[in-house]
Amino acid sequence: MKKVIGSVIGGAVLMAASSSAMAVAAGGPNCGWGNLLFKGAKGIPSHVVAVTTNGTTGNNTFGITSGTNGCNANGRLTYGGRDMVQVSSILDEFSEDVARGHGDAMNTIAVLIGVKQSDRSAFSEVMHENFALIFPNEQVTAEQAMLSVNAIMKSDSRLVKYAV
Amino acid sequence: MKYKLLFLFLALLFCSTLQANNTYLTALQKKASKEALWQKKSWLNLLHYRQSSGILSPQFESSIDQPSFFLSPTGHQDPEGELQATLAALFSNATNNDQHAQCRFIARFNWLTEQLNIQKNQLPAINCKSYTGWKARVNAEKITLVFPAYYLNSPSSMFGHTLLRLDPKEGEGWSDWLSFAVNFGANVNEADNSIMYAYKGLMGGYPGQFAVVPYYEKILEYSRIERRDIWEYELSLTPIEVNRLVEHLWELNGVNFDYFFFTENCSFRLLELLEIARPGINLTDEFSLTAIPIDTIRAVERTGLIKKAHYRPSREAVLQTLIGDLNTSERTVLRKLLNNPKESTLFGLANERQQLVVKTAYKLLRFRQNKLARDKAVAQKSYQLLALMNRYPVKKQKPVPPPVQPEKSHLSKQAVFKVGERDNKSYTEFGFKMAFHSLDDNEFGFLRGAQINIGSVRFRRSEKGTVSLQQLDIVDIFSLSPRTDFFQPLSWRIKGGAERVYRHKNDRLVKHISGGVGSSWNISPNTSAYSLLTARFEAGSHFKSYIEPALGAMGGLLIHNKIGTGKIELASQKFLGGIQASDLNFEQSILLSKNQSIKLNLKREWLNNTSLSEFGASYQLHF
Repeated sequence: MKKVIGSVIGGAVLMAASSSAMAVAAGGPNCGWGNLLFKGAKGIPSHVVAVTTNGTTGNNTFGITSGTNGCNANGRLTYGGRDMVQVSSILDEFSEDVARGHGDAMNTIAVLIGVKQSDRSAFSEVMHENFALIFPNEQVTAEQAMLSVNAIMKSDSRLVKYAV
Repeated sequence: MKYKLLFLFLALLFCSTLQANNTYLTALQKKASKEALWQKKSWLNLLHYRQSSGILSPQFESSIDQPSFFLSPTGHQDPEGELQATLAALFSNATNNDQHAQCRFIARFNWLTEQLNIQKNQLPAINCKSYTGWKARVNAEKITLVFPAYYLNSPSSMFGHTLLRLDPKEGEGWSDWLSFAVNFGANVNEADNSIMYAYKGLMGGYPGQFAVVPYYEKILEYSRIERRDIWEYELSLTPIEVNRLVEHLWELNGVNFDYFFFTENCSFRLLELLEIARPGINLTDEFSLTAIPIDTIRAVERTGLIKKAHYRPSREAVLQTLIGDLNTSERTVLRKLLNNPKESTLFGLANERQQLVVKTAYKLLRFRQNKLARDKAVAQKSYQLLALMNRYPVKKQKPVPPPVQPEKSHLSKQAVFKVGERDNKSYTEFGFKMAFHSLDDNEFGFLRGAQINIGSVRFRRSEKGTVSLQQLDIVDIFSLSPRTDFFQPLSWRIKGGAERVYRHKNDRLVKHISGGVGSSWNISPNTSAYSLLTARFEAGSHFKSYIEPALGAMGGLLIHNKIGTGKIELASQKFLGGIQASDLNFEQSILLSKNQSIKLNLKREWLNNTSLSEFGASYQLHF
């Protein structure tokens, strides 16, 4: 039964991805929305600086926009109007949490999406069951993964209210 | 320069609006003067004034010398004038938006309002849109003091680091990954190389700034990249106190501070913020010489601000625990799985053990890839392991058992009193160490195998009564990371300073830099062995060319037990000019209490064809 649901959702994901009406990848080419899974440490800025003086470089480091990762602050990454720039930074952690079915990164994504605490375990469960749809291979980008998350929520009665 | 002109211009503007003759303002200013409000600790703290005792009257100077942080042109050194200018600026009509003093200096504004009971309806109505938006985003009601623990392989993190985390109200189902972290650090020039970083960082060459970033960035930085455990101390500040801190933090957006690695560093600045949050506590006074992060945590603990501690293990710690859980045959499967991430590799293991091996393999693969660029083949393997992991039922992992909390360890400074005999002549010795931890010190709360000593000096009094410098270690770092089947870290040592050594029939004071690289292994859970290739540059008049290099090797055993720590070490080196110097050293510490120990040592030295012996006993006190 789950497999059937899975393939239905799969179709929905494909459709969603092709219309790409939901996720707006604004903010410029270095924004991270296009980051591949397993981009690793190279995808995280400023650690070289941080390890030597505990310091920081660059602007926008006062929480005025949340962690812009080199994005232009005017066109923030949005996901149905929500600020989702963080996803690309924690994509690796998220993929691991989805694979095993729990974890801080998954909880973080749930908070960003606005999933209420009472629905978090449903969220984890559904994500875990649909790992192969969210992460079909190692070439998936943050944007594609989040589009799939949305499509999966759409076809789940408990999570549909969080989809856009 | 441009900003100075702009500032003068703004100051003029404020002065001219003053002439709009606000009798209410004048009354307030008189009242503030009469009550000598500027002398209050809270005001001095908000402006970061430090007091140095002048001959006739106390002198004040702020740690901030950026003109835009002050409203009076002399504000940098004039707390009284700054208070009067701030009052005036609050009533200014020059602007009614974010640039207004009511918005830019919200903490000062609120403090003055409270102290002088300023009537809100007498003030111009200002809309602080940026501040309001920022504050809602920050959404702080609790504060957590965060301590990413020691990491020897990077100069700035050897002593650890501290930052604050601003957490929302409990029960909102928030993720602490999304809380904001407040980090004070040098604002460095990206074009500088790492030596320049270290140099300028130590010497105050970079201005320090506060940054506010999502906490997950810090988690990724420390636990993922730097392999550092993180300790999180929840503080018992009330929401009102938290609010005070957040308001002041806003005033510090983009403000440059003096930054010095040892004194006015990340940890010192955070203490200042806590003093502002809870007026009346004094945290900074004891840190005029050095502010070692863990000592600042102890200071906070003494004020009773710490509610509870939470341990966030690094990726490495998680992996070590996972690997430690596997038996020999499972480790063999783990190795195979890393090469061939297929289900068939797992054949023969129970489902639950399979799940554990897959999880470990995935984490190990990602860990090894940590600092490398994305590799297609590795990405593919990683994905295969993830997909494999996904086949098993959801199972919460066992948490990593937390080690001893680092603030429970021995204190940072050390005094030593020693009696001994060298070559049949007795001596007494007095020593002082500024910081921090030696391999044979009480390891409780420290990372095993990590020695870091800064500013250690020893004076020796001979039988005849002459006192002379015996040893001065400017720095002495020894990093022993054991190699295992799955990790192959390097062990290394660097030491520099002056020491008295046996050369040419006499003990002579030489200057030196010595270092070594090698490996270490755990022979048993509490015994490790190490061996290093070493090099040394020694300077002294006993050499023809004054400076001579030497090459050598050293090896040793480190034995931890209930009594203390034992160390046996053999080192030998040959100088370019032909001198061969070797020594065999045995040391055993006997712990008396957390901060007190007795240390016994026995040593035999050889120099070409001569040899001599030394033994001694010391009393060591950490304070």
